Amino acid sequence: MSLEERELEVLIGPQHPASGHMRLVAKIDGDIVVELRPNIGYVHRSVEKLAEVKKYLQIIPLVERPSLADTTANNLAYVMAVEKLLGIEPPPRAQYLRTLLAEINRIHSHFYGMGIHGVMIGSSTAYMWCFGDREPLIELAQELTGARLTYSYIVPGGVRRDLPQGFEDKVEKVMRYLENRMPDYFDLYFNNPVTRARLEGVGVLTKEDAIKLGVTGPNLRASGVPYDVRKAEPYAAYPELDFDVITEEAGDAFARVMVRVREIQESIKIIRQVLKKIPDGPILNEKYMKMIPPNLRKQVEETGHIKFPGVFANLRVPAGEAVARVEGGRGEVVFHIVSDGKMSPYRMRMVTPSFRNVILFEHLTKGARVADIPAIYGSLDYFPPEADR
Amino acid sequence: MAVERTIRHIKALATGAKYMLGGHRLTLMYPDDIQEFPDGYRGMIEYDWDTCIKCGLCAMVCPADAMKMYVSKEESEEGKRPVRRPGINYTRCIFCGFCVDICPTNSLKFTKVHDVAFYTFEEQIYPPERFREGIPKPQYDKEPRRVRAVLDEKRGIRYEPVE
Amino acid sequence: MQDLLSIIMEPYVFVPLIFPGITVAFLLLLVIIWLERKIAAKVQLRYGPLYVLKPLGGAIQMVADLLRYLFQEPIIPKTVDKLAFIMTPALLFGTAYLPTIAIPVSPTFYAFRSDLSLLIVLALSTLAPIFTVVMGWASNNKFSLIGGIREGYIVVSYEIPMFLSALSMAVLYGSLDLVEIAEAQKGIWGIFLNPVAAITMLVLMYMSTSKFPFEIPEAESEIVAGAYTEYSGILYGLVMGASYVKLYVLSLVFTILFLGGWNPIPGFMANDPLLPGVLLFIKAFIIIVIGAFLRAVYPRFRIDQAMDLGWKTMLPLSIISIFISLVEVMIMGGA
Repeated sequence: MSLEERELEVLIGPQHPASGHMRLVAKIDGDIVVELRPNIGYVHRSVEKLAEVKKYLQIIPLVERPSLADTTANNLAYVMAVEKLLGIEPPPRAQYLRTLLAEINRIHSHFYGMGIHGVMIGSSTAYMWCFGDREPLIELAQELTGARLTYSYIVPGGVRRDLPQGFEDKVEKVMRYLENRMPDYFDLYFNNPVTRARLEGVGVLTKEDAIKLGVTGPNLRASGVPYDVRKAEPYAAYPELDFDVITEEAGDAFARVMVRVREIQESIKIIRQVLKKIPDGPILNEKYMKMIPPNLRKQVEETGHIKFPGVFANLRVPAGEAVARVEGGRGEVVFHIVSDGKMSPYRMRMVTPSFRNVILFEHLTKGARVADIPAIYGSLDYFPPEADR
Repeated sequence: MAVERTIRHIKALATGAKYMLGGHRLTLMYPDDIQEFPDGYRGMIEYDWDTCIKCGLCAMVCPADAMKMYVSKEESEEGKRPVRRPGINYTRCIFCGFCVDICPTNSLKFTKVHDVAFYTFEEQIYPPERFREGIPKPQYDKEPRRVRAVLDEKRGIRYEPVE
Repeated sequence: MQDLLSIIMEPYVFVPLIFPGITVAFLLLLVIIWLERKIAAKVQLRYGPLYVLKPLGGAIQMVADLLRYLFQEPIIPKTVDKLAFIMTPALLFGTAYLPTIAIPVSPTFYAFRSDLSLLIVLALSTLAPIFTVVMGWASNNKFSLIGGIREGYIVVSYEIPMFLSALSMAVLYGSLDLVEIAEAQKGIWGIFLNPVAAITMLVLMYMSTSKFPFEIPEAESEIVAGAYTEYSGILYGLVMGASYVKLYVLSLVFTILFLGGWNPIPGFMANDPLLPGVLLFIKAFIIIVIGAFLRAVYPRFRIDQAMDLGWKTMLPLSIISIFISLVEVMIMGGA
């Protein structure tokens, strides 16, 4: 190394405690980051190509897999696109149930992101608390769907299961618990002067840049852009629900965390409304309900667990194109399906929020300090498998 | 500003001390305690040999190719033509439960078991003859306590023993 | 047997080998790491180490860990500077423990008495960080290098204010002799006479031993394990222990300077080193436990913020503490 060469190239990851499944190539000058480029693709799993050889129903578990912690958004967006092609609408009760699961999922996805962020800046307590408090929500989702994370709950025409007995009470208990816990989170972590020092004014994303770079989700709203697909293009039961789009003006790492915290509070509000307003009725589209053999239809009504009609095994979708958008926990999920009338899509495009936010790594870390890299990384709630797909 | 910061330091330390002295814990003491799952939990799958109509829908819908139709030897020899029945491969199964939901005769059923250890890959493949014998029984050194997750307003989640 | 015991009980053998020397330091190491994990676990709503000796809550977890460190293969990468790489952990641990020899256990029980024992302790305690820097260089790894440099930066920002606040107590008591300083606190403890110095010294102690929120030279999410990245096996065990031993030494000094040392003891016990020693240890232990508790509360500072704190807040405070001492000396007319 000659004397003039000031920059040190540091390879952070993939074998690094805080890199996630990717490599960050950092050029640093002393403690200042000159350039940081994320090396994406380490966990590429070819979801889009795989979808071309899988049948429509088989793609549901597939699209859930890349986005751990935020599976419902992908599930919902994919099924919405398929439904557009099929030209069917789920019954209202199913719409509410979809919203319910989506919001439960949003809360525990936010907890997941905040927990990882906490441990990245050194607060193991924030990590453990977030992951601990995720558990009641996962328990709720498990009771509703039968699985902890990969729910595969939403199917074309409706949802797979009705509300279990006494589910409302349990939800209300968990919501109250979360509300009681929030002040402690603020005292110990969010308002901790060290947390503030680490996050405030770090990785500032201006409103203009946020729009220009096509950032999405909480990261966009933290820069003061009130854009939320739930409002911009309402789907499921959202048109009938009353909620606010959370924004913060500062655009720094702390604002991004605060947007998530406040969205959790907003989701609690939504969940309460859903349980209050949820209409009675079937949870699967009439067309498919009729295809279920009569003796099983009776069983479905008794247990609340849908039996698939035989047509689901080889679901044929009319030729055409459809796009569906959903606001997931991490941001906007877009599915574009091109069908040629066969049993598998001709092409499926899956745009995940992490894929759109990855550009921020390079943008936000310029001129930041080495210790800011994990602080910014965590605040984006970036999830490498989701971006790589 | 400095005063506010000091107050926040004190608050953070006090909250930490509060939790240090409190007896609240979220841990499930696995494997001493084993969680009983709620009804409808998507665990390993049971197969009812007699009611199965061998329609093959389960194998068709399976997203991971875990469920496959195997030629059932005995029946094939009896009937002089190949008879196919479903078998499952737990190395591939993702527990989505599509096969159970599509089965028109309820021949496939969920169990609440998911934590079984196998020694070999071959052991995890369940051709129809093995599939009908039911799921393996999980084995423990010491009979564990069965607990159930109870959601709680004050403590989030508690694990209470089940009788 | 009797002879052996009497030799061990000789202060110049007992102090370096038993208390406050290597034996107690080692036992403390086994307890404190377990306790630190337990405390963090309690705050974080979980159990922490539990299964090694379950009735006592996993109290001998660290014995199991130590055994693992002992029998694990210490991997020495090809590209390292071998001599420096292997020597530094031992030197680091050794120098961290060295200051204990100058710490008195009771008014009459000490390895040697010097007019300058406070200075000797402080001077010896500054040796250890040099080896961390050497370690970072010898490892020939970018993360180690950054960690070593960070340690260097941190050292310069805590050392001056820490020594100033310690020396402000020497000004107050008019002595650099730890025995005299402790004896001067028979009535009122130093922490009440000069709280500014006490707080400054406490914070900087945690900073010097990489406790949260100053766990900067080995910040896991940034630079893996800092200077210790390439170490494994017992070599890593030594470097991990070194910072705890250093905290132990500084806590003893802090106890003598601010918490009255072995006071209060009844007069008739003064010649027996047992009770004063136990008191001294308990007080120091509490200081260490507070350091362990901080892990559960704070994230870590950025290096520039820690340096800011050292130079812009702690340095003025430590100078103020000297003035406080001077004013008090003036009012009381000398200690």
